[in-house]
Order: sequence, then structure tokens, then C-alpha cells
Amino acid sequence: MPPVKWLMHWHPSPGATLNTQILLEACGCAESLGGAKDGRWKTSIFFYRAMTRDGTAGPAGQQPGDLPRELLGVALHERPGLYFSIVRPAKLVLQADAAFTQVMEKLQSYKARVALHFEGFQYQLGDFCLRIGKCAANNSEALRGIMMEVEYYPLSSIEKSRAVMEDFFDVWQEAVAKKSLPGHFIHVESNFSEYGLTDQYSFQHTAVQYATCLQQLMAAGRG
Amino acid sequence: MYLRVRKCIDWPCFWHVEALEVLLQGLSGVPKERVRVHELCLKSGPNLGVVPSEVRLLCDLAQPTPSWAIRHVGGAMRGAGAEQISVLVRTIVESKASKNVLQYFYTLGYKLDHELLKIGFAFHFHRGAQITVTVTSANKMPRLHATDEAVPVTPGIQLVEITAPAAADNYNDVVSAVTAFCEYLAPLLHLSKPGHSTGIVATAGAAAASLMSSGGGKTL
Repeated sequence: MPPVKWLMHWHPSPGATLNTQILLEACGCAESLGGAKDGRWKTSIFFYRAMTRDGTAGPAGQQPGDLPRELLGVALHERPGLYFSIVRPAKLVLQADAAFTQVMEKLQSYKARVALHFEGFQYQLGDFCLRIGKCAANNSEALRGIMMEVEYYPLSSIEKSRAVMEDFFDVWQEAVAKKSLPGHFIHVESNFSEYGLTDQYSFQHTAVQYATCLQQLMAAGRG
Repeated sequence: MYLRVRKCIDWPCFWHVEALEVLLQGLSGVPKERVRVHELCLKSGPNLGVVPSEVRLLCDLAQPTPSWAIRHVGGAMRGAGAEQISVLVRTIVESKASKNVLQYFYTLGYKLDHELLKIGFAFHFHRGAQITVTVTSANKMPRLHATDEAVPVTPGIQLVEITAPAAADNYNDVVSAVTAFCEYLAPLLHLSKPGHSTGIVATAGAAAASLMSSGGGKTL
């Protein structure tokens, strides 16, 4: 059972723009709290589009909303042998092997179009592991967002770990506030039960959290 | 979990089950593995996909907790080279999946074309290649997904398949290994490429009777 994890994303203040300095400052916060840098990490999200025989973007001849126009594929850094596919409108998360991507290539019904990569540094901090990183599209250096993972090793129950995660988040916010950065980190809770996921944390929970985080980053980008 | 991308060499035929089991048991030296697989064949709905596509979902019911896999079976290798060899080579991509995989593909716009319950046994051999021999009967369900009520599609007939994973750079060796292995089964059955019938072995009855009375074959 993997340990519980929270994903947080950087929410810029109105008018502020994203830059790598914020990322560096966030890494500085992790170090100021006593975090020891111990490596890099990378998680990728792939956008799959529905393919149709008549060349339309979504399946024509179907009622709107009948079929998903888009799927998300998630490749998590901690389990490279696994692959997750998320159908957001149907609240479905499928766990499969990494070979799933090849099955999809063979089927040619949904094709991977764009990839977003979340990558950065990892810090060990007592019972916690922090991963702070940037989000960028494939073949682009442009920053699409800044986010972080906070993992708490001793617990796998979401409910039992809630208090300790909230406490850690408060400490973290305090450390970030001292830097007077133009924005703050936000934790948007995913609705795991909608996806049929239980209180016991799993890799599927992480995949769903990435989908939620992505949605938030895209909304922030539009805003 | 691990990923499997492989070319499989299929070589099916039909024959007496019990004698074959005795022969395979003798050859392998380990007990048979029970096979009970619910296979669902799904096809893409109208207009979905660049081309119509087909995917198989396999639920292994022989395990205490059923496990699911997705399998895509590619077309058979063609051309003069393919015709000259005695086995069929095709690309198979398979991935394990969580139990909501059927709901997932329905949501994507795939429809159930047919379903089968394959019941039988399997033996594994490491002899020049990772060879798997499965002996199964195909069963159909009177009601949707009612695997407990499955009845044989062709009573008394079993499908014998020999498969081995191969890569582009070693499939000639795998073909040789499979061909050599099939010689051990020659007293009971002639194996042929799918779609090519070789008929039954004239001396099979005597060989089967001998196997059943002696209780096994030689160990490889």
C-alpha cells in the first residue's frame, strides 16, 4: 500500500506571471525546513484524442457527450511499469501496464497528441518526501505551472493522515510566505469516491490527483 | 507487473485430452496449471477509430482473485518467408488491467461482439524457447457474462495451442524450438498452422491407450 500523498499547485497572484525563480524559491523553502535533496523525478501526462473515420475530432454520428473526446494517460515516476488512463467525464481511472500505450497505438481509436511533463527535485524531510517541480509541454521550455507532491511515509489512510498533512501544509505555507512570493500553493482535494477509490491510498489516487492538478493549472493559465 | 510485447507462434489442433495430459505431464514433470479464462471480444463502435479495431479482455478466473488483461492480436505475418515456416507468427500486445477494464472500453465506445469461457489446462516448458501448451475447450454463455452456466460450443473437441514469445531477431530459433517440441507430441497429434488442417494421427488411438496404461511419458 503506497503512502498517502497530497498534490499542490502554485496559484499566482492576480497579474503575476510564472517564472523559474518561484521554483527555485520553493526548493529553497524545502531546504530551509531541513529537506535533503536526494534526486530528480518526472511524471508525464498524455492527452489522447478520439479518432474518427471521417476525420472529425470527436466521434461524429454520436450524441454529444456520448463518447469521451479526450483521455488522459498518466505515467508516474514512482511506478514506471504502470500506466493509468483517466476518462474524466465518466470518472473512470484504469490501471494497466506500461504496454497499454502500445495497445492504444494498435487500436488507433484514441491517439496521444500532447504530453505534459512534471519534473523537478525530490527532498527527504523526516517522515515526509517533497517533490517540487515545473510543468511544461513536450518540446517546450515554457512553464505551464509549478506544483509539488507531499508524501507522508507512515500512513496510507487518507482520513487518518488528514490532520498531519494539514499541519504540514500550514508549516509549508508559513515558510513560503516568508519569501514574499507573488502567489501561494493550493491543495485542491480530488473526489476519490467519485472514481470508486477507497480511503486506502493507491497509485490510482495519485493519477486522479494529477488529473485534478492539471485541470487547476490549465484553469489558472486561462485566468 | 510486467509488460509483454511479443510475437506468438500458434499451432493448434484437436485431439484426445486425457492422453495428451499424461504425455505433457510426463514431459514437464510439474503439475498442470488450471485454465479458466473468460474472454470478451470487443469491437469499436461506428466511426470510432481510424480503422475498425478489436480488443480482447481476458479475465483469469482460475485465480482466487480474478485478474484482468487487455490483449491486442495483430494480423499474421505474411509473405513468402511466412509461408515457408511451419508456424504462424503474429504480434500480440498484452497489458494487465484493473477490474474496471470492461466498463472502461464500453465508455470509450467499444461494443461487446462475443464472449467465451475457455476451460482446460496448460503446461510451460523452457526448451529453446518459453513454450506454453494450452489444451482448452471453448464454452458459450446462455446469458450475458453467466460463466457458471457456460456450455461447450463444440462438445468433445479441445483446442491444443502451442505458443512461444519471439522477437524479430530470434524468431527463426523459436520456430525451430517449437517445431522440435511438436515432435514429442507426434504420437498423439499433428499440429498445424491455424487454418491448415492436417487431420488426425492414424496411430493416435494406440498411442493414447499406451500412455493411459503406462501413466506417463518420458521426462525431457
